[in-house]
Amino acid sequence: MTQDEYNAFVDALLSAELHQFKDWEKVPYFDGCLPIEVMAERGRETLRFGPMKPVGLTNPRDPLVKAYAIVQLRQDNALGSLWNMVGFQTKMKYGVQAEIFRMIPGLQNAQFARLGGLHRNTFLNSPKVLGGDLRLKADPRLRFAGQVTGVEGYVESAAIGLMAGRMAAGDFHGKPLEAPPETTAMGALINHITGGHIEAEGYSGARSFQPMNVNFGLFPAIAIAKPEGIARWKSVDKTRAKRKAITTRALTDMMSWA
Amino acid sequence: MAPRMANSEPIHIIGGGLAGSEAAWQAARTGAKVIIHEMRPQRMTDAHLTEGLAELVCSNSFRSDDHEHNAVGLLHEEMRRCDSLIIAAADKHALPAGGALAVDRDAFSATVTRAIEQHPNIAVERSEVAGLPPLEWSNVIIATGPLTSPALAAGITDLTGEDALAFFDAIGSDYS
Repeated sequence: MTQDEYNAFVDALLSAELHQFKDWEKVPYFDGCLPIEVMAERGRETLRFGPMKPVGLTNPRDPLVKAYAIVQLRQDNALGSLWNMVGFQTKMKYGVQAEIFRMIPGLQNAQFARLGGLHRNTFLNSPKVLGGDLRLKADPRLRFAGQVTGVEGYVESAAIGLMAGRMAAGDFHGKPLEAPPETTAMGALINHITGGHIEAEGYSGARSFQPMNVNFGLFPAIAIAKPEGIARWKSVDKTRAKRKAITTRALTDMMSWA
Repeated sequence: MAPRMANSEPIHIIGGGLAGSEAAWQAARTGAKVIIHEMRPQRMTDAHLTEGLAELVCSNSFRSDDHEHNAVGLLHEEMRRCDSLIIAAADKHALPAGGALAVDRDAFSATVTRAIEQHPNIAVERSEVAGLPPLEWSNVIIATGPLTSPALAAGITDLTGEDALAFFDAIGSDYS
């Protein structure tokens, strides 16, 4: 997009009619999933530093001129007939969505297969109500899995399902199963939702437990030594080495549980 | 943990999404008997378009597949080593997406549905479980997702005295 195209696009977003929330629906957004029109409201440049960041791309038809903003498309089916607009969550009314998205160069004639919308997300205050084996403390015949336990993302949901399924099978066979080691990604995730999260203090009313993706912050720390023969260890290299150490440890520790 | 008496009552799983399908697969492969309760197509949701198990309602990406330097890539790899149905189906229907694991959502869902429906230890019941599960079900997994029904949410609130917090998630747009 050129600067003029970007500005016209942001103006259209700012004037778009939104889905009106009912009173009970008025709740804060999860920052990882902000609708694009909310980002546009926060500042004219916000989208250009978010999902429309024009970095690392060259226009083959005009290689010397850098784009002012970009839209990333991800292939959505094997045929290549469906494409997903990356990072374009929205709660704009359906009619205006197509109109506004067709302002994007190249999408003038696009057919929209699925428009953006919003849905409710209900999740448990898992650190408080679930045991380490994902069972409800108040009624242990009930075990929980998936997004309702306060994890975010497809893979995380399936991973909690994997552990819940094995634990339920353990009960079926009379051989209770413990969670994977906390040094593994699965162990770190279940540990976070069933105990690792620390409730924020002095913050009455709102709950501090929020859905989370798996991330390196959930793993126990690991010590790594600076490689010999290096005068200054660049922080990017150190981070990479630390991640490699965490993932190597995880896959080793996973062997006993897998 | 001390051994307990075996509970040979079937495992009831409520919800045939990603978590419910994976849970059913994992339990069934140990020889446990499983019943999945899925309300679609009898009762559809605002987010789903099909009656397939493990339908992806938002993006088609499982994010980075770099198991050495990315936490979700590591999670993929751990699940592969645990014979995950979800990751196996994703690998089978992967699309070009740089370093990410993105899938053809229809083929992915069809593969998961077939694997679950054809498993000798799994029965799929297409009906809604409204509210808390019946008391005679002694080994239950609730995997009802972010659209958990108000009746079930109220039942859980009665048991725990906790309020279930609601917030919103937006779905991205797709075009062809």
